[in-house]
Order: sequence, then structure tokens, then C-alpha cells
Amino acid sequence: MIHSIDVSAVLRQAVRASYADLVTRATGRAVREHIEQVYAAQTGGVARMDFTGVRCIDYSCADEIVAKLLRERIRVLVLRGCSDAHLEALAPVLEGHGLAALLERADGTLDGLGRRESTDALLEELVALHLAARGAGGVVALVAA
Amino acid sequence: MTKLVDVPAQFDDRSFDQFAAAFSRASADGGRLLFDAHATEWASPYGLVGLLAAGQAARSSGGEAPLLTVPTAPEVLSYWSRAGFFRGARELFEIHGKVPRGQSTADSDVLLPVTAVRASEDVHDVVGHIQQRATAILSGELGIDPKATMGFAMALSEACQNIVEHAGTGGWVAVQSYHWRRRLARRVVVIAVADAGVGFRASLEPTHGRRFGDRWGDATALEAALIQGVSRFRDPGRGQGLKGIRNYVSRWDGKIAIRSGTARIAIVPSWDDDVPLAEGLPPFPGSQVLLIIPEQKARHA
Repeated sequence: MIHSIDVSAVLRQAVRASYADLVTRATGRAVREHIEQVYAAQTGGVARMDFTGVRCIDYSCADEIVAKLLRERIRVLVLRGCSDAHLEALAPVLEGHGLAALLERADGTLDGLGRRESTDALLEELVALHLAARGAGGVVALVAA
Repeated sequence: MTKLVDVPAQFDDRSFDQFAAAFSRASADGGRLLFDAHATEWASPYGLVGLLAAGQAARSSGGEAPLLTVPTAPEVLSYWSRAGFFRGARELFEIHGKVPRGQSTADSDVLLPVTAVRASEDVHDVVGHIQQRATAILSGELGIDPKATMGFAMALSEACQNIVEHAGTGGWVAVQSYHWRRRLARRVVVIAVADAGVGFRASLEPTHGRRFGDRWGDATALEAALIQGVSRFRDPGRGQGLKGIRNYVSRWDGKIAIRSGTARIAIVPSWDDDVPLAEGLPPFPGSQVLLIIPEQKARHA
């Protein structure tokens, strides 16, 4: 099972303000702690984090949310709704930590993000769990939306 | 006894050390300070936020509020007002001279007026504000890929967070676009951030000072933070912010310079003649950060 995390909604709930930007470490910490509380029973699994509606994410928030959840809570993380601007923060933070995640493109296919040596293993794990399947040309896509 | 601190006629990052020397001399033995800007002809965002940081330091040392004589040239005074300088200055200085009130920044090159940064909420406001105004300037006037304008907001956010996370006090940020005729003959966008807090050396000393032994000082602390990405926090994710700023600035052939205490470190692009590391400068409290993103050459040509 993939646990879905609507980051924009969590941001509104966690900081109780109408922010559209994931900036500052304090905000990142609040968002991560909110995710940890809500998903406490689902630790260690597969999660899909949707950034739709998030305007800007800075390095501090990328580190505080994505990197820390990957290090401590989530085994396979699929990122969706990411713009190029989001990736400007997410990619270097993942690489800096030697971490990897999967990026769900608009057509549903999955790419690796971060440590390249790990992304193939993440894709294989999703396929093995029947959460994703290989299509023509070897591209991998999630099987259940 | 009131002691005079001359504000340079052209007040920017180049003349800041002259200002810091005057500030250091004047504040050495206590007494009330008079910041004299009556003859100032021009001030960059860096000069304006630096002047507020000096006022903050003078104010926090106790005693009477420092005095400030405002520029006499009407166009200079008008700019300082449009740039939002006096909003912050009124809280710090006893101001002498007539200050214009309530001028709009809507049609000026002031992308972000001088804005106080004290807490995380202030950084959110700054980032929200800049995204409304900066995209047109960055992509329309500087030739930066529109997709990369968000990186500018990220760099601004991280620069402001240094105050919230490390300064131990509040500070100020200002962002402006202008045509830099004298030094570059191109348009630039400048981010200036200043505080009069503890500075890099004091921030990093408890966790990193011993490792550097006798070499430890302002310059070593700046090198450790900007080049090596160290942070006072032991969390392995810390230190990403300055690294991210450095990468963004390098990608767009920009400049970052950080002054703290008696040193200044810079990532110097080919169009600038600054030194990478300056030591033994006149002491000045806190940290002052300067980011410059120039108009891209292909567009300029």
C-alpha cells in the first residue's frame, strides 16, 4: 500500500497559516512532525508525497522534511507534483545525504532522484511489491493511482 | 559625550569598511553615537541594512538612542524613504532632518524594501513578496530562465534564515534591481542582509572552534561556513543553505560576499575584482551578506 501525503494540505494544517511556500526550517520541522504524527502507524513503508500547490521549497525545508523522513521513517518515497523549481532544492539535498527517491512524472512514469545507485533498487522494490509495473521500453509506472 | 560616525558619501559594500572603522572607533569608549549621513549621495541596499545593523548595535549597548542626521539631498532622501529605510530606522535612531512619508515602491526598482527579519514568519512574508515582484525583473530584464527565478527565492530565504537561526537577534533584508554602470555596465539584482548579532565566529565556536586550534577566528569561521558547509548544529542536514546559495550564485555568474567581525569572504565572479578572503578588517558586529545576480551576458550582448 502506498500512503499518500498531500504536502500543501499538511502545510496548512501544521502551521495554521495560508502559506504557499515551504520555507524555513521551523516550517519544515512543523510539517515533518505533522506527517510523523499522522503516519505514525505506517512507518517504514512506501509513501507518495504530492507537492501540487506548493509554490516554493527551500533547501532547509527539503532537508527537514524529505531527507529526514527518508532517513528515519519512509523506505520508498515517491514525489509527485514537483516543478523544476522544487527539484532545484530536492535534488541537491538528496544527493548531499546520499539518499534517493522516485519522481512520478506527469505521465505516471517513475524516474530516480538523488543517489543513482539506489534508485534502481527502489524501482525494483515497487515492482516486487506489485505497486509498480514495467511497461514498454522498461519504463516503470505505478499501477494504482 | 556624542561621538561622530561619518556615513560615506557613496555608501556600499566597497566603502563599508570605512564606515565600520568609524563605527568601531566611535563606540570604543561608550557615549552616544551620531551617525552623520547629511552628505551621503548614494547608498546601496547593503549600505542601508548595514546602517540599521550599526544602529541596532549602538542601541543594544544601552544608554540613549543613537542620533541620525539624514541626507540633505532630496533625491537621496526620497530613495532612502522609497527603499523603506526609515521604517526600521525610526525604531533605532533619534532622527534629525525631515523624512518624507508613505512613498510607494510599486513602480520602482525596489523589489523588496528594507524589511525586518526576526522570525520564521518574516521569512515567509519576504519570500511571498519577492515572488510577486521578482519574476518579471529576473527573467524580463536580467535574462534568467523563468524556471530559475524560484531559485532566487530559495537563496533569499536561506540568507534570511541565517538571521533567524544564528544571529541571536533580528536583522534586515533588502532587494533591489538597478543598472550598475560604474562597475559592470549591466543590470543587477542585489540582495543585502545584515544583522548585529553574534556573527559566524561566535555561532560556530562552541562546536567547531577547538578543531581549528590557533587558526580559529572570523576568517576561518567564514571559510568553514561558506566553503565547507559546517553549521553550529550537529544535524547532518545543516549547512545546506549557504551551499545552495553558493551554487545558485555560481550558476548565474553572480557574487556572494559575507562579512562578519573582522573578515569578509567572497565567491568572486570574473567581472569583479574583490578578494576571496579579507582579514584584519575593522570590527563590525553580526553578519552582512551580499548577493549580486547580474544580467546574463548572452542577453546583454
